[in-house]
Amino acid sequence: MDSGLGTQLMACQDAPDYAALCSIIEKLALELVLAEPGKDNGLLPVNSLLGDLEEVARRMEVPEALGAAIRKGREWVDALFGAGNFEESTLSRLRSWVEWMQAAVSALHNGQAITPLIAEAAESSTATAPSAAPQAVEEVAPEEPIVLNLENDGELLREFTNESHEHLQNIELGVLTLEENPTDMATLNSIFRAFHTFKGGSGFLNLRPINRLAHELESLLDLARQQKLAIDSQVINLILSGGDTLKRFVSEMEAQLGGQGGGSPISISINDLLARVRAVVQQSQSRLTPAPVVAPTLVATPVSHAPEAGGTQEAPGGTAGHQDATPGSSGTAGAPECPPAAANAAAAGGSESPSKNGNVRVHSGATSVKVDTLKLDSLVDLVGEMVIAQSMVMQDTDLLGIQSQQLSRNLAQLGRITKELQRVAMSLRMVPIRSTFQKMTRLVRDLSVKAGKHVELHLSGEETELDRTIVEEISDPLVHMIRNAVDHGIEPAEKRMAAGKSPHGLVHLRAFHQGGNIVVEVEDDGGGLNRDRIVAKAVEKGLITSAANMSDSDVFNLIFAPGFSTAEKVTDISGRGVGMDVVRRNIEKLRGKVEIQSTLGKGSRFTIFLPLTLAIIDGMIVGIGTQRYIVPTLAVRESFRPTADMVSSVQGRSEVVNVRGRLLPLLRLHSLFGINARAADPTEGIVIVVESDRESRCVLVDDLLGKQEVVIKSLGETFKRSPALAGAAILGDGRVGLILDVDALVGQRTAPLSMAA
Amino acid sequence: MTEVNETTTSTTRTLAGKYLTFVLGRESYGIQVLKIREIIRFTDITAVPQMPHHVKGVINLRGKIIPVIDLRAKFGLNSTETTERTCIVVVQVALASGVTSQTGLIVDAVEEVTNIAAGDIEETPDFGGAFDTECLLGMAKIKGVVKTLLDIDRVVAAETASALMHV
Repeated sequence: MDSGLGTQLMACQDAPDYAALCSIIEKLALELVLAEPGKDNGLLPVNSLLGDLEEVARRMEVPEALGAAIRKGREWVDALFGAGNFEESTLSRLRSWVEWMQAAVSALHNGQAITPLIAEAAESSTATAPSAAPQAVEEVAPEEPIVLNLENDGELLREFTNESHEHLQNIELGVLTLEENPTDMATLNSIFRAFHTFKGGSGFLNLRPINRLAHELESLLDLARQQKLAIDSQVINLILSGGDTLKRFVSEMEAQLGGQGGGSPISISINDLLARVRAVVQQSQSRLTPAPVVAPTLVATPVSHAPEAGGTQEAPGGTAGHQDATPGSSGTAGAPECPPAAANAAAAGGSESPSKNGNVRVHSGATSVKVDTLKLDSLVDLVGEMVIAQSMVMQDTDLLGIQSQQLSRNLAQLGRITKELQRVAMSLRMVPIRSTFQKMTRLVRDLSVKAGKHVELHLSGEETELDRTIVEEISDPLVHMIRNAVDHGIEPAEKRMAAGKSPHGLVHLRAFHQGGNIVVEVEDDGGGLNRDRIVAKAVEKGLITSAANMSDSDVFNLIFAPGFSTAEKVTDISGRGVGMDVVRRNIEKLRGKVEIQSTLGKGSRFTIFLPLTLAIIDGMIVGIGTQRYIVPTLAVRESFRPTADMVSSVQGRSEVVNVRGRLLPLLRLHSLFGINARAADPTEGIVIVVESDRESRCVLVDDLLGKQEVVIKSLGETFKRSPALAGAAILGDGRVGLILDVDALVGQRTAPLSMAA
Repeated sequence: MTEVNETTTSTTRTLAGKYLTFVLGRESYGIQVLKIREIIRFTDITAVPQMPHHVKGVINLRGKIIPVIDLRAKFGLNSTETTERTCIVVVQVALASGVTSQTGLIVDAVEEVTNIAAGDIEETPDFGGAFDTECLLGMAKIKGVVKTLLDIDRVVAAETASALMHV
């Protein structure tokens, strides 16, 4: 290990060169996988990349084994130039060559010996079975856990996991597109690239299981790209479960990077999946070349191919290298295991046929930059500060006294720029709801398989932009609602047919702007909510005594009560009586609300109203005594100075205000907050009518000071449970104003009233 | 006897270090310098209603809103007028939930930052249950003056807890 340490130190010193080496090889690998036999596309880039490689290798003074391999590669590429086109055999030879290079370079980085490239073996194996990709057969290695080297590789691992999310999402979205349109080459390529990047990154970081899995899936997709394998539901399921397994690895790694159980080995079983993938790969190959000669070749390949496979696979092995089975035995062990697994996979694949849907969206690669969210938030904070500073300058009495056109022009210019800057900074927080919606596509797919129903999800308005936080937070409630829709809403096919509906259930997920709100709707064409059952359940749970004069919407709202569930049986998916109360809580946390419309037998629609952004509200600033408070303008119906005959007291304790015939309870904010008000008599103050959940209250304040858009800030832990405050904001003069929580204010009075009733 | 001495020195040794000392009335206190973010002049505080009387409210600290606690009121001392020496010591504390948060403490005047040696620190004596000594790290004697060393995490954490209970 001592000599290894030395090499590692050397590798560290040459870090930039090493990184260049890695990136060149990565690019080479990508060019090679995209290259097609019989065409010269990519030949020139390969040539120039090889030139770069030679130069970097000279500069780094790489070990002889690597140098020899690079010379070999040059030889082959030169031969290719002679031929003019890529050929099947040279291409696969170069592909295994580049794989060896990746392994060798990572071995070099880890300070391990490089297994020499056995060019002859590669040549002979590709010569005997030209149509078989060299990676098609591999030994079944024992399951190895991943042990992360958090100390040395922490940064790299973090980068790897961060990037992984994007690739995983690409995979998932791509697969769903493929399911609709199995021949979409662009999507196929994007999934392929995602797995390829996984393979590269994991090989570099010596994450063997991830590397092996990504490698196998890449081979599978490569066959599909070469149109040697049809994308059917079996393949789709394999890719999806591959993506899921990778996701599990990534989330385990993230947990460790986040400091949970650091250093403990991550072991997730992949061999079963690997066997299934390989079985499909082999099947497709035997189907493609049905000549009887090929079958023995396939069985023979592992043996003749073994030294090469051992070379590429063991080189990056690191600590786990000794566990590898010897190439000879592994070749024989791998082969017999595949056929039964193939049968299993085929059985598990199901008979789901991909539906025909022409409108496949091509993902355009928008130019964007990834930024740490903390930086983004602090930018938004700073811009907020700047707006305040600017308004303080504008209101400065000394400046106002100066009569200068130049100054006022400059100040106006400053004002315009500040406003624009604020607008842009706020828009940085806005992201399309697409990613959340597309997650639901996957969800519906999985749920409908599980529930044995055929349910289609129709999306619209995915481009609607929302505050980043809302997009993240809305995901959970949507999952709950869609689960409910698929599990309870949509009836089984027989029942649907009996009711004269199409056997295919339909769930719509929409997002759009309405007024100052964003509306997200989940609509299903299922059975609808059953008023009688909800009422019976609510009575049974003691929520109500009778529903005699309750409107439908009041009854439907009962399903938001904690622990309320009308599902007759608890399923794997939903029906445990948690859900809708969580939905409502989450949405209210986002300062949104949810409404239900439902027709028995026709379906139901859940409508979520959300604010455009969480960061800013339009506030009305009111004064009480020496204090200023902010009332969200959305909640304010009207405000006026009452006359003496409008206010009447009830039993000397409560007061009501007669607002055009409606009697609304009066809430004296100053007595609630214990402030000495300037206007103890309502006729000297201002009454604000606030509304929440269709209940109105009159709130007495001293005076109205103005309207302002304010940036909401949290009051922090100390005041977390402060009953009547929703947060705080910094006002124009730099002082803090407290934002009133109208819902709580209204609720504070309804609680004792309803108890008395 | 020796055993007692040993434990005393081991506890006090970890307490040795730099402290910011300040006064409340005629009493003198110290907070570990590492906990202090900054010291600002007394500014207008926005009162937060329905809070215990020693939670004075919130201030705007360069765009951040932080709570302010009146240490005099907290420790049950008589309140006085603010003077030009009154200031707000902003401390960074780790709350029970694991998050760190900043809190302002109103003090009468800040004295100095001083190095307190282990030998000058004594464990908090037992006051016979007269009051809770949980928030105290120990007592230090500097130039004949006794300074109470505060466990500011506890002072503020107790604040959060009591604010919650109050609700």
